[in-house]
Amino acid sequence: MSIDKQQREGAEVLLMGNEAIARGALEAGVQVAAGYPGTPSSEIIETLSRFAEPGKLYVEWSANEKVAMEVAAAASFSGLRSMCVMKQNGVNVASDFLLHLTGSGTRGGMLLVTCDDPGALSSVNEGESRHFARLMEIPLLEPADFQEAKEMMPWAFTLSEEIRNIVMVRSVTRMSHASGNVVLGALPQPGGKGEFLCDGKISDPERGPVISAPVVEKHRLQQEKIRKAAAIFETSPFNAYTGPERPELLIITSSACRLYSDEAVSLLGAEGRVGILKLGTTWPIPPAYVKKHLTTTEKVLIVEEVLPFLEEQVKILAAEQAREIGIKTFYGKNDGTLPMTGELNPDLVAAAIGRILGIAPATFPAVYNEKLRSLAGVVPQREQTFCPGCPHRATYWSIREALQRDGRNGFVCGDIGCYAMAVLFQAAGFHTAKTLHAMGSGIGLASGFGKLGSFGMDQPVLAVCGDSTFYHAAIPALINAVHQNANVIFIVLDNSGTAMTGFQSHPGLAVNAMGEAVPMVDIAAICGSMGVKVVSGDPFALRQTRETLNRLMEERGGVKVLILKQSCALSPEKKGKKQYLVRVDEHLCRGDACGCNRLCTRIFRCPGLLWDREKGKARIDEVICAGCGVCAGICPAEAIRCEEAQVP
Amino acid sequence: MKGNQRSKELAEKESTPGGQKELEDAVLKTGLCTGCGACVNLCPYQAVYRDRIVTLHHCDLTRGRCYDFCPRTPADLNTLQEACDVGDDLTPEIGAVGGFFITRAADEKIRRRAQHGGTVSTLIALALREGLIDAAVLAGEGEGLLPQAVTVSDPEIAVGQGKSRFVVSPTVAEFNRVNRTDCRRIGVVATPCQALALAKMRTQTVKDTQSGIEKLQLVVGLFCGWALSWRNLTALLEKKMDIAAITGMDIPPSRYHTLEVYTKKGTVRVSLDEVNSCVRESCRYCGDMTAEFSDLSVGSARLPEGWDTARFWNQVVVRTKRGSDLLELARSKGVLEFREVPAGNLDKLKAASVNKKRAAASHPSGPRSVVDKMGQAG
Amino acid sequence: MTKQLLVKDPYNIIITGVGGQGNVLASRVFSGMLVRTGYRVTIGETFGMSQRGGSVMSHIRVSAAKVWSPQIPKGRADLIVAIEPVEALRVLADYGNPAVKVLVNMRPIYPVGVITGEAEYPAPEKIREAVRSLSALSFFLDATDEAVKLGNPILGNIVMIGAVAGLGVLPVDQGVFETVIREGMPASRVEANLRAFAIGMAVVTK
Repeated sequence: MSIDKQQREGAEVLLMGNEAIARGALEAGVQVAAGYPGTPSSEIIETLSRFAEPGKLYVEWSANEKVAMEVAAAASFSGLRSMCVMKQNGVNVASDFLLHLTGSGTRGGMLLVTCDDPGALSSVNEGESRHFARLMEIPLLEPADFQEAKEMMPWAFTLSEEIRNIVMVRSVTRMSHASGNVVLGALPQPGGKGEFLCDGKISDPERGPVISAPVVEKHRLQQEKIRKAAAIFETSPFNAYTGPERPELLIITSSACRLYSDEAVSLLGAEGRVGILKLGTTWPIPPAYVKKHLTTTEKVLIVEEVLPFLEEQVKILAAEQAREIGIKTFYGKNDGTLPMTGELNPDLVAAAIGRILGIAPATFPAVYNEKLRSLAGVVPQREQTFCPGCPHRATYWSIREALQRDGRNGFVCGDIGCYAMAVLFQAAGFHTAKTLHAMGSGIGLASGFGKLGSFGMDQPVLAVCGDSTFYHAAIPALINAVHQNANVIFIVLDNSGTAMTGFQSHPGLAVNAMGEAVPMVDIAAICGSMGVKVVSGDPFALRQTRETLNRLMEERGGVKVLILKQSCALSPEKKGKKQYLVRVDEHLCRGDACGCNRLCTRIFRCPGLLWDREKGKARIDEVICAGCGVCAGICPAEAIRCEEAQVP
Repeated sequence: MKGNQRSKELAEKESTPGGQKELEDAVLKTGLCTGCGACVNLCPYQAVYRDRIVTLHHCDLTRGRCYDFCPRTPADLNTLQEACDVGDDLTPEIGAVGGFFITRAADEKIRRRAQHGGTVSTLIALALREGLIDAAVLAGEGEGLLPQAVTVSDPEIAVGQGKSRFVVSPTVAEFNRVNRTDCRRIGVVATPCQALALAKMRTQTVKDTQSGIEKLQLVVGLFCGWALSWRNLTALLEKKMDIAAITGMDIPPSRYHTLEVYTKKGTVRVSLDEVNSCVRESCRYCGDMTAEFSDLSVGSARLPEGWDTARFWNQVVVRTKRGSDLLELARSKGVLEFREVPAGNLDKLKAASVNKKRAAASHPSGPRSVVDKMGQAG
Repeated sequence: MTKQLLVKDPYNIIITGVGGQGNVLASRVFSGMLVRTGYRVTIGETFGMSQRGGSVMSHIRVSAAKVWSPQIPKGRADLIVAIEPVEALRVLADYGNPAVKVLVNMRPIYPVGVITGEAEYPAPEKIREAVRSLSALSFFLDATDEAVKLGNPILGNIVMIGAVAGLGVLPVDQGVFETVIREGMPASRVEANLRAFAIGMAVVTK
C-alpha cells in the first residue's frame, strides 16, 4: 500500500520507487522539499507532504521547477537538508538556476531528484536529465532497485555535504512507478534550526554570501568537488559486480536496466558467461573501479536508457587506459546493438546478448504461435480520450464549432496537461489543437503566430493552457503577447487543480501541499492587470462558449483572454457524484438516420455514451456516465434527457 | 415522364451517392453555394454563419437531405414543376406564366414601409389574416448588412419586413426549423434559389426522414439578379460610410448603373462596377431571375412614367392556382391595387431573364452540368 | 508467516483492465499479501494516462529471494487476471504461453472505437473460446455483477483477488487478505471486501 507514520524501523513493506525515495529522504532527515508535479515524479512530494509538520518538514508544490529548486536551495543555504523534485523536462526549466547554484555551491545537503520517462509513457518527450549532471559538473546517482532507492538518499545527502554542492539522483518511470520490498530504517529526531549565515567574506564558504563569483575561481572549486566525488564513488556501496571472474561478456548498466539485464541473462541461462557491473554512481564513473572490471573481459555491452551516456564515459576511460587494459569490443547504442530511442525491456536486452553470444531464444510450439496470430484483428484498440464528464471535451467541442463557423482555418496552440490529448489523439479535441511543446509554449507560439497578420495570415490564433500551467510558464509569454499586441485568443482551461498528475495544489487554490490555508492568486485578476479583455465562462454552456469565441475571433488586434472554469470530473469534489441522471429517449433518438447519424457516439465520443447496434439507438452507460449533462446539449432531437440527480 | 421510367430514375438516384461529402465537393468548395440554408437545421453537421454555410463535423452518410435539397445539385426540372403544381403555361424564358400584373398595396402605410409597391407584404399579411397560412418565413432585419431569417405569424409584423435584402438570408434553414414546431401551414418568401430548394424538398429521395414539406402552403418568389457577399460588401461600404447609419438600399433600372444606399445623412451612390466584385460567386451561375418554382413571383415594376413612379409598384407573375387564388382574393378584398400592364413589359422581363440565363451558361469557370440543368428550366 | 517454495520462481502475474477499474489497488493489495507472507515482490505498472480510458497492466513478480524486473518478458506470464474481457486477449497476445492460467471478469468496458461503432467488440463466447485455446486453465467470472450485488462495482477487483487465492498456485489465504485489508482501509469497508474475496474464491474452488 503506501508508507505511513505507524511503520517501524525494520518492517519490510511494499513501496513504490517514489515512496522509497521519499522514505529515504525522511530517514535522512530532510527538512525542506519542493517540487512541481509531473509524471512519473509526483508521488515523492505527495508522500513527503503526508509527513510534513511545522518545524520538522516543510513541503511545497512550487509554481514551477526553477522556483522549487530555488526554494530548496534557500533551505540548504540556511544549513538545512533539502531537496527539489521534478520530471525530466522540469530540469530544463530549473537549469538556469542550477548552472549558477553549482557555481555557488550549497551548505545543508541538497538533492535534485529527477524522474525521467524513457519511452515517453506519460510525456511528450523522452529527454534525459542525466546529461545535465555532466553539463553542470555535479555528481549523479541512479538507484537500481527499491531498497537502494531508499538507501541512496541518506548517502546522497552526506555526499552533498562533503562536497558542498548539489547532488542529482535520477530515477525512471519503471523505478518510480514500480513497487517492491523495502526494509525501513529509523526516522531521525527533528533536525536543526535554519539560519542563513551571511556576514562573512566572499571567500568564506561557511559565512560568506552564496554566489557563483568570482566565476573562474568558483568553477575551479566546483571541479575539485567533482574529483572528490569521483574518489568517494570508487568505494560506493551502490556499485556492484555479479557474475564469473572472467566473463565472456561484461554488461555495464544502471537503474532499471540493471533489472532488465539480470532478467535477460537468466532468460538465456547465460549466468556462467555474462557478468553484470551495476553502477549506482554514474557521473563521474569511478575510473579505477570500472577499469578493474574492464580488464576481465574483451567484450563490453552497455545497457542504459536512453542515450549512450554511460557508454561514452566507459569508452573514454577505455581509450585513456587502452595501453593497460587492451582493446575492447563495445556493444550498445552507438553500434545499434540496442535501440537509441524508446525504453528497454528484458526481451530487447536478451536479444542483444543472444546476438553477441550466439544464443537462440526459446520458442513456443508452432501450433501455439498459430493460435496467437489468430488474435490479430480480434482485439479492438483502446484509444485514449477525455474522461466522461471532462470539461475539456466540452471546451474543444465549442472551439471546433466556432472555428468551423469562422471559416478562416483557425487553430489552437496546445499545451501540457490532459488537454494536450487534443493534439495527440483522434478521440479527443475534434482536430482543433495543432501544436504541442513545452509548458507555456502554447501562448508563446500564439504570441508569434498572432504577429503574422502583416504577412497575410488571416487565421484565428487560439492558445489553451490549464490553470496549473498558467502559473508555471504561461505568464511571461502572455505578457509578451499583450505587449506586442499579438492577435490571440488565450483560453485558460481552469479545472481547479493539477488534474493530470493527481490534483496537487497550485497557486490558484487556497490550500497548499501541507493542507494549510494560503492566499490564492487569481488568474482573471492577473490577466486583467495586463489591461486586456478578460471573459469568463462555463465550458459546459456550449452555445455561450461558442458564441463568445466567434465574437472574439471577429475582434481584431490584441490579446483576448477567455477563462473557462469547471472542475475536473475526477476531482475529489466531483468524483462519484452525478449532477444529472442522463437517459436517452429511444422514441426521439434519430440513431444513424439522416438528421443525426449518431452525432453523440460517432463525433462527440464520450465514453458514457453507447451505440446499441441492434436497436439502432444511442444509450447511456450508467456505470460510466459522470452525469455532466453536456451531451444533452448536442443532441439534435432532444432525445438525451437530464434529470437533476438526488443528492444522497 | 411517367410510371416505370420515373421509378427507374428514382431508384437510380437513390443509389447514387449524395451526402455531405458530395455536397462539399460539388457545391461548398466550388463556390456554388447560394447560402439559401436548405442544408441547415436538418442535422447538427451543417450550420449557417453570417451568410455562409459551414460544415461543423464530418457526416459519413452516402445519401443525405443536405445534398438532396440543395438547389445546386442535379435535379429533374420536369419532376420539380409537377411537384410545384405549376400550370401548363410554360415559357422558355421565365417559367410558367398564369398571369402577369402590375400591383401595389392599397394601404399607403404599407407601401412606405416596403421596398417598392408593398405587394409581398400585403399578400403575406392577407394569407396570415385569412388563415391560409399560420406562419410566414421571410428575410427580416438583422444586424448591420446581415439580414436574419425570421418567422412571423402576426400580419402587422409581417408588413414591417418588406425591405429588400442584398445579402442572402438563410430562409430555408428557418423553414427547416419552424416546420418542426407547432405551425401547421407555412408560407415562405423566397429568392429563386430558395424557391428551388423548397421545390426539391417536395421531391425528397432520402428515405426514412421527415422534412415537414407538407406544411409548405405558399411560396412567394422574389425576382433576383444576384446577392452580395456579406464580408465583401461590408468591406466596400465601410470605406464609404458608417454602416450603422444605413437605412436601406435599392438598385434603380440598369441605365443608372448604381446601387443607392440610403443613410440617415442622405443617399450614397455606389457604381455597380464596384458592387459587382461583391456578388456571390454562386449567383454568377444562376439562370433563374424570376423564382420560377413559386406560387407567384414579385419584383420591381418598369413603367413608362419612369423610375420615380415605377419604384412604388410591383410586377407579379402568377404560376400556380394557389398563387392565382391569393392574388384574386387580394383583389376582391381590395388590399391590392392593380393597374394596366404596359405593352411590351412581359417581353422586357423575358429579355432580362434570358440575359441572366445566357450569362450563367457562359460563365467561364461554371460547372457545366449544373448550368445545363438550370438552362432546361424552360 | 512461513515462506513456502513457489511452484515457479519467479511466479509472474499480470493483472489487466481498464483505467478506473481498481487495477492498481488490486495489484497493491495482492502484492501486499505476498510481502506479508515473506516473499519478494516487484510490481511494474504503467499509469499516468491510465485514468483516461486506456488499458492498464500491472506486472507482478513473486520470488522467494530476488528482485525481478518490473517488466515480465514476452510470453512469460504464469497467471493472467483480466478485470475486463478483451484485455485478457490483449495480454495473452504478448505474454501468453501454453502453460498460462487465466481468470477473466466477463463485464466488458467498451473502447471508444466500439462505442462509436467503428470497431467490433468480440462476442463473449468468442472471447471464452480464444482464452481457452491459449491457456492451460481458465475461469470466467461475473465479478462486476457480484460486486454490484455487494453494492459497489469497483469490488469486482477484490472478487478477482479472491479467485486468485482460490487457485492455490500461491500461498495466500483469506487470513492474510483480511490483515492487509484491515490495515489499508477504513473499517466500514472491510466487511464488503471480505465478502467479495470469499465470492471470488468460491467460484474457483467449487
